[in-house]
Amino acid sequence: MVTQTIRCPTCHTPMTVQGTPGQRIVITCSTCKASGQFTFPAVHQDQGQTCIAVSHLTKTYKDTIAVNDVSFTVKRGEIFGFLGPNGAGKTTTLKALLGLIHTDGGTITIDGHDIYHDGIQAKKQLAYLPERVALYDNLTPTQTMQFFCELRGEDPSQIPIILKEVGLDQVSTRKVGGFSKGMVQLLGIAQILIGHPSICILDEPSSGLDPRWVKVVREKIRQLNDAGATVIFSSHILSEVESLCDRVAIIDKGRLIAEDSLEKIQSVVQVKPRLEITVPGLKGKTPKVLQGLSGISDLSIRGDVITVTCEPSLRGKIITLLQDGGYTVGNIKTIEPSLEDAFLKLVGGSAL
Amino acid sequence: MNLDRKSVYTVAKKEFTDHIRNRWILILIIVFIMLTLVASFLAGQRSTSDTTLGGAEETVVTLLSIAGILLPLIAIMLGFATIAGEAESGALALVLSYPIRRSEVLLGKFLGLGGILAFTALVGFGVGGLFITISSGTAQILGFLAFIGLTVLFGLMYLSPIICLSALLKRRVTAIGGGIFLFLWSPIYDMIIFGVFLATSDLSTTQIMQGGSFSLPAWMWWSIGLSPSDLYETTVMKAFNVQQAFGYSMPLPDYLSTGLLIVFMCLWIAIPLLLAYVFFRRRDI
Repeated sequence: MVTQTIRCPTCHTPMTVQGTPGQRIVITCSTCKASGQFTFPAVHQDQGQTCIAVSHLTKTYKDTIAVNDVSFTVKRGEIFGFLGPNGAGKTTTLKALLGLIHTDGGTITIDGHDIYHDGIQAKKQLAYLPERVALYDNLTPTQTMQFFCELRGEDPSQIPIILKEVGLDQVSTRKVGGFSKGMVQLLGIAQILIGHPSICILDEPSSGLDPRWVKVVREKIRQLNDAGATVIFSSHILSEVESLCDRVAIIDKGRLIAEDSLEKIQSVVQVKPRLEITVPGLKGKTPKVLQGLSGISDLSIRGDVITVTCEPSLRGKIITLLQDGGYTVGNIKTIEPSLEDAFLKLVGGSAL
Repeated sequence: MNLDRKSVYTVAKKEFTDHIRNRWILILIIVFIMLTLVASFLAGQRSTSDTTLGGAEETVVTLLSIAGILLPLIAIMLGFATIAGEAESGALALVLSYPIRRSEVLLGKFLGLGGILAFTALVGFGVGGLFITISSGTAQILGFLAFIGLTVLFGLMYLSPIICLSALLKRRVTAIGGGIFLFLWSPIYDMIIFGVFLATSDLSTTQIMQGGSFSLPAWMWWSIGLSPSDLYETTVMKAFNVQQAFGYSMPLPDYLSTGLLIVFMCLWIAIPLLLAYVFFRRRDI
């Protein structure tokens, strides 16, 4: 079963439809009462097939190796997270996928099309969001979108709807030169929504956006994926990757150190959140009730604050135990594991 | 080389729309148009003789010197950042992620920015020509259109090399440096050539400074091939049989035909553009 948001061709009202890939349904618009047929995209048929294959990719800048013998595959229909600290080689790898840089070795194919020998065919399927979106200062959002629509051979009538979706409809006739960073980023996101791209490559899509828009970006990634698009995005924020991705590749210092499903990587890394509990009057003494409790580790007490690493499900139990033991439980804070923690585990602490 | 015309046109249109609304470009274009208008109005009042351009040798010489400074400036302003700047900002990465070839992007940029130069020359000189026609009463539309055409070519002789420099140089700042060098190339080159001429010629400096009529050696005439500004001025003078400029009477040699000079001008456009393609194709974006 797939869910997809479509727009009425007559009045452009968005509506959500459900069905199976390839299924054809007759729908009636609730606003203008026009009815028509809709066929669900059949791209899900080859779901799970390799759509991007990178093998032995190497790229050197002068004397630094940015990407070192990296191989991975992305499967049709998945959300693939590309994780690594700043400067790990994420952007370089994504740029190589688009044929923007000349590699020193390795091959990249997009649905069987080599990006360097058959670039036009390969890029027809791709939509890209650069890390720092830069556009043309003297064009308006509408003119910018028209330019991109023409490059992709898409109908420009979808522009007002897309601009509304990213919240730029009020400024569609203003020059982009006067926009804030966040607004430019949103316009960058708008251009990937043109047509129905089958593969989206997003380089740190939520960087530079305020939290409200970070949420919107995540929803857009989900929507694109629900509509059948394969999404690859890079991030240095673990929680972002965790909430979205099916599979993850982790890159550090130009080398791929892991490529697997999210669960597998999590089980290998075993990074659990840390709990910080303030117990007034504790004064550095370890509560007896917590001693020998299974499922917790790294128990430490500093003043009135207990810090402990455990599964989130144990949180309630720990609090109950403390309260039963006669302690007053004050502030409770959960510290999500950082990517650095994951790296330290994965590379054994030596590589960082 | 495979080229999709629609993609080239899309890029050209975007470049034109974007840059025509750039404040500095707009100011330069307005200054250019104002100067040509004033020059043709003033000169048009005085001209009486009837030559190819409707009696406006003075106007042509004045227009030549206005175009000689402002068109290269506009071309360099249009082109210096087109690859170096856009690669640095990231705009180019986004465009090249679309199904378009680098050759199409390059050609689109050249045509779009060239369109602005053509627009500038056409409006500036077109209205100027109208003044001349009205004041002298002789309509020499074809001759004047040819003059405008040569002026557009002259603008492209700066646009093509600056795009080439922009494709070669890594950063926006260095591309600005490249632009300044290109702008000053003709006068610097002229000084060197003139210095060599003074050192090797039988004529004394005083004789040369006093003006009058004397002939230049052949090597000096050929040397203008490397100076875009001189090529343009010489071609216009040759094409319209203007033999006097700034007090000098210089009969142009027969071996420099108008056709040959135009070929030189076209080489100044074609060779840097081809080089730009070579640099652009090799470049990491």
